[in-house]
Amino acid sequence: MARGVRGPVSLRLRVRLLVLVIAPCPQPVGAASLLPTTISAMSKQLSFKLVLLGESAVGKSSLVLRFVKDQFDDYRESTIGAAFLTQIVTLDDGSTIKFEIWDTAGQERYKSLAPMYYRNANCAVVVYDITQSASLDKARTWIRELQRQADPSIIIALCGNKSDLEARRQVTKEEAQKYAEEEGLLWTETSAKSGEGVTEIFNTIARKLPTSPPPGARGATTSASRAAPGANGAPRGVDLNKQPNAAGGGDACNC
Amino acid sequence: MEHTRPSLRTSAAPRSRSRSHTPSPSARHFPRLLHSSMSYSSLPSSAGVAPTVPTAPALPPHLSVAVAHDPSLPSSSSSSSVSGIELGENGSSSSGGMIMNTEVDVGTVDVEPDFKPPEGDAKKALREQLRRSLSKREAASDPSQRYQPKREPTEIDELESPSFDAFPVRQYFVLTNAGKPVFMSRRSPSDASTNDDRTNIMGIMQAIVSVFADDGDKIRCINAGRTRITFLLRSPLYYVCVSSWREPESVTRTHLEYLHLQILSVITASQLAKIFERRTNFDLRRLLGGTETFLHSFIEQLEFDLGISNASLCALKMDPVVRANIAEILVPPKELKDVLYVALVSSGLVVTLVRPKKHSIHPADLHILLNTLSSPSLASTPISWLPICLPKFDPNKFLHAYMSHLEEEVPNGSDGENTDGIAVRLAIMIPDKDGFERVRQWAGSVAEALSSSGLLESIASACRAHAYLPMDIGIPGLRHFVYKSRSLVQITMPAWAKPYDELDSRRRLVTLYQTLHDVLHARSGQPQGPLKLQYIRTDKESVMGWVTHPFELYLAMSPGLPKSAVVGAANAIARWIKREEGKLFLRDAPVF
Ligand SMILES: Nc1nc2c(ncn2[C@@H]2O[C@H](COP(=O)(O)OP(=O)(O)OP(=O)(O)O)[C@@H](O)[C@H]2O)c(=O)[nH]1
Ligand SMILES: [Mg+2]
Repeated sequence: MARGVRGPVSLRLRVRLLVLVIAPCPQPVGAASLLPTTISAMSKQLSFKLVLLGESAVGKSSLVLRFVKDQFDDYRESTIGAAFLTQIVTLDDGSTIKFEIWDTAGQERYKSLAPMYYRNANCAVVVYDITQSASLDKARTWIRELQRQADPSIIIALCGNKSDLEARRQVTKEEAQKYAEEEGLLWTETSAKSGEGVTEIFNTIARKLPTSPPPGARGATTSASRAAPGANGAPRGVDLNKQPNAAGGGDACNC
Repeated sequence: MEHTRPSLRTSAAPRSRSRSHTPSPSARHFPRLLHSSMSYSSLPSSAGVAPTVPTAPALPPHLSVAVAHDPSLPSSSSSSSVSGIELGENGSSSSGGMIMNTEVDVGTVDVEPDFKPPEGDAKKALREQLRRSLSKREAASDPSQRYQPKREPTEIDELESPSFDAFPVRQYFVLTNAGKPVFMSRRSPSDASTNDDRTNIMGIMQAIVSVFADDGDKIRCINAGRTRITFLLRSPLYYVCVSSWREPESVTRTHLEYLHLQILSVITASQLAKIFERRTNFDLRRLLGGTETFLHSFIEQLEFDLGISNASLCALKMDPVVRANIAEILVPPKELKDVLYVALVSSGLVVTLVRPKKHSIHPADLHILLNTLSSPSLASTPISWLPICLPKFDPNKFLHAYMSHLEEEVPNGSDGENTDGIAVRLAIMIPDKDGFERVRQWAGSVAEALSSSGLLESIASACRAHAYLPMDIGIPGLRHFVYKSRSLVQITMPAWAKPYDELDSRRRLVTLYQTLHDVLHARSGQPQGPLKLQYIRTDKESVMGWVTHPFELYLAMSPGLPKSAVVGAANAIARWIKREEGKLFLRDAPVF
């Protein structure tokens, strides 16, 4: 069977069915590039491990749910252990990469398990809640830990979630942005609720990822043919909010 | 397997305490457990801190307190702890079966010896007060004496049971042995107590426990009118249940034991011991964050779960050939020989369980696993990887669980949720915390195989066809029953039909079953020892419990039927089960 194809079961089954339909009449690669889960680019797909870290209730699971399913729950139960999800992102040149996402639990008792999830990660999204300044302190602790313990080439994004709750803001944009610049992190604010900034942050990370399979990433397949946007150098501070921000999800893939 | 089906009439007659089955653990412990009893001679109103109970207006003047004297205290508490939960049944010899048939199971998860918590002035005052007002008396007010079986001219014992007529929400408390709150169950809407009140109550509970601990006693329960406060001491944690249902004490004690196991599933016994060694005053709530949902849902489930009260599991009813085909797919490959269990569960029912030859699964661990699997947090994620301690397997170690949803995909379905809401969950337990990738590879192929072979679809249709009604058996007057196969450690029962679709009636029936269970197994240390047959008549129904070597059966019939009709019905159910048992129970699952 198609053992090489991995991912959440439902996703995988759906893919299998697509194979049956498409196989007799292959579409040109890239034709369906706007679809996040397209089969067409399977032949040159890279997999990258992404880990989400941050205090409990900042909205890590909500961000992932928005990114993977474009949904939001007002009442979400705290994550137990870690949830594993995958999502495929299409890049500007039509090539795709697959994110293997670890949505970790922010509850204190799981703290000691975190290295298991970030050890082989290519990128990390450290989330805080803009309405809770303590959650930024916690994010700083995570970032220090990643800088010390994770792979030195890891791409770290700092993400201030719940931007829809402007009235209850405790963390200013300036403060977080300054910190991110000092530490060389990507930074943005997001709202899992409204969707604002969510796909952008994942896409920005995707664009910064190396084009050849990184040594740490397992399951990465075949050689990538898309134009290399640059070496895998130290990430610069980037303010995602300064990018032209097309309203709505139409621009989701920045293609 | 032996299938003797003794005729009721002959098996019922003798009632000596050492017949075909060995006494239950609690019966064996009886002389030690209830050798002393205390009662408050009076409760002076001048007491500095009045011990009030949330659901009882005030303690009535006559309280009885049951304690277990433990001469080894405070140095050790493991071997002689108070009648623990009887999670498996004795009487069946199948060792190495799929599900463990546990023998004495008492105190195996005790963590460390009791130690004296620090105390404040208020507690000191209470202690003094209690000491002065308590008088030790011989066991005259043993609560189980209320259930005196009454001899009738017929062969079947009829029990004069208390009437189960009011079911105020039971209150559960978990506190540390320093009196710090850890968990409180949800209040009933009519309960006006504030959280502060309830925190204070926990301080008082701690003080009461420590008064007895000082004398080398362990408090078991306080009986105050129709309210009973049951204590389960598992240092560093104390568990307390306040109930006015009049159920046997063994019922609430089992509940508390399960709460303890559920807590251990997220914080192991050795972690707990270590934490409280360092800081006796530690606030455990911080570490249990997010676990409250488990505990609340568990408490709700405990109310009606007959699988738990019979220490058994409930399998999905399905064609044994289909079940065997599914199980074949679930046998792990060579690279995964370190896998401990593979469970496939649907709608809370076990489809199959695959295990290494050397391990049997303890039913309590299975219930903990099922409760974890049903948590809403896992329901919303397709794949989870989490640490979990199965305390009966090893209370000091975490296993790691891969849990995923297998969804039945309809070819033309949109990418919405599962079309008919039947979620099949796969759980794979492995000791290796880095085992995720290995497990995921294989779990993916399992899902693929189940789906492409149509077995996933078969599970979904089995789920839809699982429930049966009491009338399906064709026995006039039969309203409900629970049948437990003792060798398979599994139960089967029909869906709740009239009048038990109504919740208070259902609570009454469950409590009647539990009362029968308690008497039949002498769980409250009944002097007559274990029995084979017991009957209770209320104006709403007639219920009977029957214990034989291969099975245990509890049934409810319309009131006013003669006993002979109930006996006839019991025999008819046993015959019906025999016919259907291939489908009803999970047997012969593969081992690896
Ligand atoms: N208003 C608003 N609420 C949000 C947003 N994101 C998440 N929430 C809410 O915040 C709560 C916590 O969200 P989760 O996604 O469960 O948080 P988490 O970080 O995954 O928490 P843990 O799993 O415990 O680590 C939920 O009730 C969400 O509905 C957001 O962008 N805006
Ligand atoms: Mg979460």
